[in-house]
Amino acid sequence: MISREVAWRAFAAEYNASTLEVKGEGERAPSYVITPLGAMINRLFVVGVLTDIENTGTEEEPFWKARITDPTGTFFISAGQYQPEAAIALARIRPPEFIAVVGKSRTYSPEEGTLYVSIRPEKVTVVDEKIRDYWILETCKSTLKRISAAEEARQMESPSVESLMKLGFSRVLSEGVVRSVAHYQTVDFEKYRAVVIDALKYLLPEYQTEIPEIPVESPEEIDEEENIDNEEKVLAIIDRLDKKGKGAPWDEIVEEAKKEGIEKNELEEITNSLLDKGLIYEPILGKMKRI
Amino acid sequence: MQKEDLAPHVKEISQVLNGSIDDDQITKELKTFLEVYRVSLETAKRSIIRKYGGNPALLSGGQRKRIGELTGNEQRVDLLVKVISVNKKEIEIDGTYKPILYGIFADESGTASFTAWDADRFDFNKGDALLVRNAYTKEWNGQLQINLGNKAIVERQDADSINFSEIELPKFTETKQVKIAELQEGMNNVTVTGRILSVEKRIVETSDGSKTVYSGVIADATGKTQFSAWHNFELKQNDVITVKGAYVRGWRGIPQLNFGERAEVSKFSGTFPSLIDLSQSVLRTIVDLEKIGGGIDVRVKGVVVDVRDGSGLIFRCPTCKRVIQRNLCRIHGTVEPLPDLRIKAVVDDGESVLTAIMNRKITESLLGMTLDEAMKKAKEMMTPDVVKEEIENKLIAQPIEISGNVTKDEYGLMMVVGSARIALPDIKTEATTLLSELEGFS
Repeated sequence: MISREVAWRAFAAEYNASTLEVKGEGERAPSYVITPLGAMINRLFVVGVLTDIENTGTEEEPFWKARITDPTGTFFISAGQYQPEAAIALARIRPPEFIAVVGKSRTYSPEEGTLYVSIRPEKVTVVDEKIRDYWILETCKSTLKRISAAEEARQMESPSVESLMKLGFSRVLSEGVVRSVAHYQTVDFEKYRAVVIDALKYLLPEYQTEIPEIPVESPEEIDEEENIDNEEKVLAIIDRLDKKGKGAPWDEIVEEAKKEGIEKNELEEITNSLLDKGLIYEPILGKMKRI
Repeated sequence: MQKEDLAPHVKEISQVLNGSIDDDQITKELKTFLEVYRVSLETAKRSIIRKYGGNPALLSGGQRKRIGELTGNEQRVDLLVKVISVNKKEIEIDGTYKPILYGIFADESGTASFTAWDADRFDFNKGDALLVRNAYTKEWNGQLQINLGNKAIVERQDADSINFSEIELPKFTETKQVKIAELQEGMNNVTVTGRILSVEKRIVETSDGSKTVYSGVIADATGKTQFSAWHNFELKQNDVITVKGAYVRGWRGIPQLNFGERAEVSKFSGTFPSLIDLSQSVLRTIVDLEKIGGGIDVRVKGVVVDVRDGSGLIFRCPTCKRVIQRNLCRIHGTVEPLPDLRIKAVVDDGESVLTAIMNRKITESLLGMTLDEAMKKAKEMMTPDVVKEEIENKLIAQPIEISGNVTKDEYGLMMVVGSARIALPDIKTEATTLLSELEGFS
């Protein structure tokens, strides 16, 4: 069955704390960001305040970068020519504004062990405060469900998808939780419970005066700009080297990239990311081609 | 065939005939049948036995198997079994009544139900150990069925010839009580209690000729399902019944309850939700529907996360109602297009997804725009796409509550929406409840 990936509801605090990305099996398999609580995110739905937006591309080919904050942290959004609908929508919006975004999880890993996550939007729409509040409530509920699934799993001798499903958790959540337990050595559940409690208080006027600063490990400034620049560079290299339309040889790409200051390790990350985005493919082993 | 090869068959024939005929004579006759008349070995053996007044059914032609090894395709099989239960009843065949036996056989490998098609030929009781010869097996409703036809022979054995603990046997005879929302395609021998919301008599054509079926909708507090009763149980609307021994078949993913004359139908006398209460659609999760494959008149909540192509202002062929492009129907050629409004929305609840198909009436009410107004707008903007954009602006990110029938195919779940509304919960109340639950813990 060709099923559509579900749009997860997760707070920025949880999404940004992710350090694990997994790939499904087979060709064209989607990749997922696994959060510490076991959300297995390929697509997500977020609502928050658009605080700033800038065009890091050109007038002709805009590339939008935006930040959306929720009560727990900031989501990083970027959209270019391959997300025309979202790019057009972003071009029209002036911060601050409540916006809703449906998008795909994106990752950038400049070095082993470091993972920066962002969102590549499919749909961007302006909403009102009620929808934002509704999203916070729903996200609290789904975060609590993940906390309880992850806590159950950590009490099991050998956590399995089947045993979690027996407890009533859905298959995707059970799969995500099992993977999260294997990757994240410890998870501070109290911290996430506190995140939920604070988010709920945010919704209730009687607590409005004493909203505490929620401590969130916000990821360092994502070097997304350099990331995107380098992707553009690599695409240009591939175009240049692909003289016969049969793809650019890998060895030559490595050489050319080095001249532009991109080392082989980094190049591999970039091509992987381009492969993920569906901008390039490998027509035969050792050759890269633009789609 | 060499003489040596025939020896075991000769011996077998001789045994059936209690040694009354000389082995050489049998060998000679068998050879004649095989070499002169060229009939099959099986036929030859039977003919010889019949000729000398023996019972050919006593030939142990059946392969000896254990119940656990049966495949449902055995033509002749021998089994050593214990009778777990045996009952007698009459069935109607072409207007005449005939007694049959049915029940459960068991051996150390498992249990299976059996039917002996001529009750008068057999005499055995619960607890007996039997050697059943020449039975045949079939699969019926997904379950293995041992059949004792006119070739079958039953020999009673010493009770201790079968040794196994009855405690280990699966409780095969017990039917499983299930709620309507739990019904899943392929289930057998289930017991369901529900109120009949509607019932009608229909004649359907089957491979066995036309049959009368009483079909309708039955409901309990968990949901509704269509049912088909293949026997006249005199079901009436508003009856609350318990059906024992029903089975579940799927139609485009939707599980449907079936029961035939073997089922037991009784009136339920306890308290049960009223017809009016049960007529409401029941709220389900999308994950739940995905698991069971669909359902009728169900309600789900979610957020619209996408509006698919083919939504908005569309044009149909006036004859066949197909959606057409550029006034051209692929069946009826150039036609005068009929405008229509439709939404194909992706509704996502954070755990699963379904596609919701909404007709003109629902589209107009969600959009706050009539078909004429949509046409006018499309003309103004010189493109029908403007209507789809309008739908996206109105619906994306909105919480929606929809009800209708849900089916499942290779693209996932699809609901043909009967009613839809944008539905925000009372956020403050829910947040307060959730908060007090959480703070109770800490």
